[in-house]
Amino acid sequence: MTLIRIAKASWDGGLEKARKAYELIGPVPEKDSHKYAVLAEGQLPDMGFKNTKLSPKWVVFPQSEAMFTYTLDGTKENHHILQEVPAAPGARAVIGIRPYDAKAIQLTKMNFDNKDYKDPFWLRNYERCTFVGLAINAPSATDFSTSCGTGPFAEEGLDVLLVDAGEVYIAKVLTEKGKKFLDAAGFGEDAGADAAKTVEDLKAKAEAAITSKVSYNKIQGKTIMDLYDAPFWKDVLFGCINCGTCTYACPTCWCFDIQDEVKGTDGVRVRNWDSCMTALFTHHASGHNPREHEWERTRQRFMHKLKYFLDKYDAGLMCVGCGRCVEQCPANIDIRTVCNTMNAFEPGK
Amino acid sequence: MEHMGIEKGRLHYSWISSAESTKFVEVVKEVTDAAKAAGPNTNFVKRYMKEAE
Amino acid sequence: MSGNIDRIKEIARGLLETEKVDVVIGFKKGTLPVMSEPTIIRKASDTETLIWDATCRLNLCNYLTGRKDRIGIIAKGCDARNIVGHIVENKIKRDQLVIIGVPCTGMADKKALSDLVGGEVTAYAEAGDQITVKGPAGEKTVSRSEVLQSNCRSCIKRNPVIFDEMAGEPVEELVLENRFADVEKIEAMDAGAKWGYFEELLSGCTRCYACKNACPLCYCPTCFVDESRPQWVGKGTDPIDIRTYHFLRAFHCAGRCTDCGACEAACPMDIKMRAFTRKGVKDCVEKYGWETGMKEGVRPPLDTFKTDDPEAFIR
Repeated sequence: MTLIRIAKASWDGGLEKARKAYELIGPVPEKDSHKYAVLAEGQLPDMGFKNTKLSPKWVVFPQSEAMFTYTLDGTKENHHILQEVPAAPGARAVIGIRPYDAKAIQLTKMNFDNKDYKDPFWLRNYERCTFVGLAINAPSATDFSTSCGTGPFAEEGLDVLLVDAGEVYIAKVLTEKGKKFLDAAGFGEDAGADAAKTVEDLKAKAEAAITSKVSYNKIQGKTIMDLYDAPFWKDVLFGCINCGTCTYACPTCWCFDIQDEVKGTDGVRVRNWDSCMTALFTHHASGHNPREHEWERTRQRFMHKLKYFLDKYDAGLMCVGCGRCVEQCPANIDIRTVCNTMNAFEPGK
Repeated sequence: MEHMGIEKGRLHYSWISSAESTKFVEVVKEVTDAAKAAGPNTNFVKRYMKEAE
Repeated sequence: MSGNIDRIKEIARGLLETEKVDVVIGFKKGTLPVMSEPTIIRKASDTETLIWDATCRLNLCNYLTGRKDRIGIIAKGCDARNIVGHIVENKIKRDQLVIIGVPCTGMADKKALSDLVGGEVTAYAEAGDQITVKGPAGEKTVSRSEVLQSNCRSCIKRNPVIFDEMAGEPVEELVLENRFADVEKIEAMDAGAKWGYFEELLSGCTRCYACKNACPLCYCPTCFVDESRPQWVGKGTDPIDIRTYHFLRAFHCAGRCTDCGACEAACPMDIKMRAFTRKGVKDCVEKYGWETGMKEGVRPPLDTFKTDDPEAFIR
């Protein structure tokens, strides 16, 4: 494992160099918060950000993504044939992505890139990216990432992990892609003998600061129907207003809906984020809706993340513990409470 | 509608009886004149369609 | 105001014990310091979990729509006005309800609380009129009036207009200098500036629909945004689709909105969409002399007509 020292004074200059080879994406202030955005010429990421309301999942899975264009105008070339929207060219570097968000992209990858199905749009977005993560030195009170198979200094899904060590960033080079990015930025100074210990100390401190936890060790031992029919759902989810806040804020929610945007004879086929909270989500063409009631939709969300995903992939929860849904839910529906309730539930008792 | 930034003259209300053919013609003329004067409202054209043009 | 909680619990317990109601709808303590969670209580012993403080921002009337059981509901001033609206609009029957009125001195704005302590609030406590919060910048104590939600600053009815039980002494109503100064500011702009104002206001909107789902007025079986045959509005992130949604929602609320602020309290992106609905409130006051939900049995102005209705806008 190579550790590189990046003096903060040389950070901006390095990014400017890297910009020649990469389109940069990073956290920028927006209103009173931060968001991940494509950095404009001369714009630099604000590395002092706390958390963003939305995760950077849009980098691989945009909220609206044009897939095809078409025309029904018989006088035009290739009419009545879907034309794939060409892939955007060039490499991208996602600066300051949090370890749990990088892990989340790996979880969604199981859905978009597996032996049965490869999603070309997701994959071409993913393959362009180099993920330059930023470790979290001071986790928020709603962060429960350490019980979700990731953590403030986790490395899974990252190409580089930056650790803020005061005057310097210590960069852990995790992949070839990561090394290439650091080379392009001109960052290559060896971090020295003490760096590994500095990182370990900061990591231990950050992990110790996380007191919020979920348990799911007993969920796989219960049947789907036991949990599905459990009596607690209606009351636990009573307050839920079925908005899409949690699904949009969630770095692992991957559902989409395909729509045509049409004007005259020309159209664009777009896929948009969907949300299992809406009535339309499972509304059948027949008019029947298998999830007629609000609480059934919310149950679906939690069963997917905390039960079906576990059973299907045996790779832990479909949740990385970022805490965004906990913080943003208008009705304070807390996935930690739901997960612990599901785990503790004893069927038949 | 005006409060939300839609210019005056784009939205018209009228109450015309089926017996008021003269008023109908007058109002239609006024409305179409006003719409032409205001010009196309590109604010309501979707992004994808603007890009296509 | 939290002093009312003992009385609220006592009334709720009594209602369940005597089987006057099947359930009580109220708030319980949230998992975050600045949050509460709407809750449904079925057993008298569970009334102990009820709370009442300045984090009870959501409008509980929202949870009444279409219920068939007998319900005890805790209602602050605005909730009570919405309950009146619900009864008028046949969304609930008066005799299904036992309304536990709570005089209200306003709800604390989440953002104002976190601004006080420079970030995440880690502890929250109320003592009388004082709110104490802890966070990265240490501990701060302020009076409730300093951190009120903006709708609570222009509230016209803090005491419930309709109730069966009252859990507290009436509070003094606010004396408002110019209730609609915010709306007038927008009215003074030209069309282009207004368009720009709302463009900026809506930037960041993800169409999560928390605003409409937190709103007691938004009870249509199928909202126009979910209508698919035919589809009324695009479902993507096109700014005009986002704006169309907010436009139409505002129109649907005209003459029915009590300005309870649940929409803004619910918004995860801190969008102040009352800038739309407040215009409807103002127009109804000025043109029809109408205040929503103040009196039982009166239909809202856009739901009825009078021969002297203003009609200068009709040619």
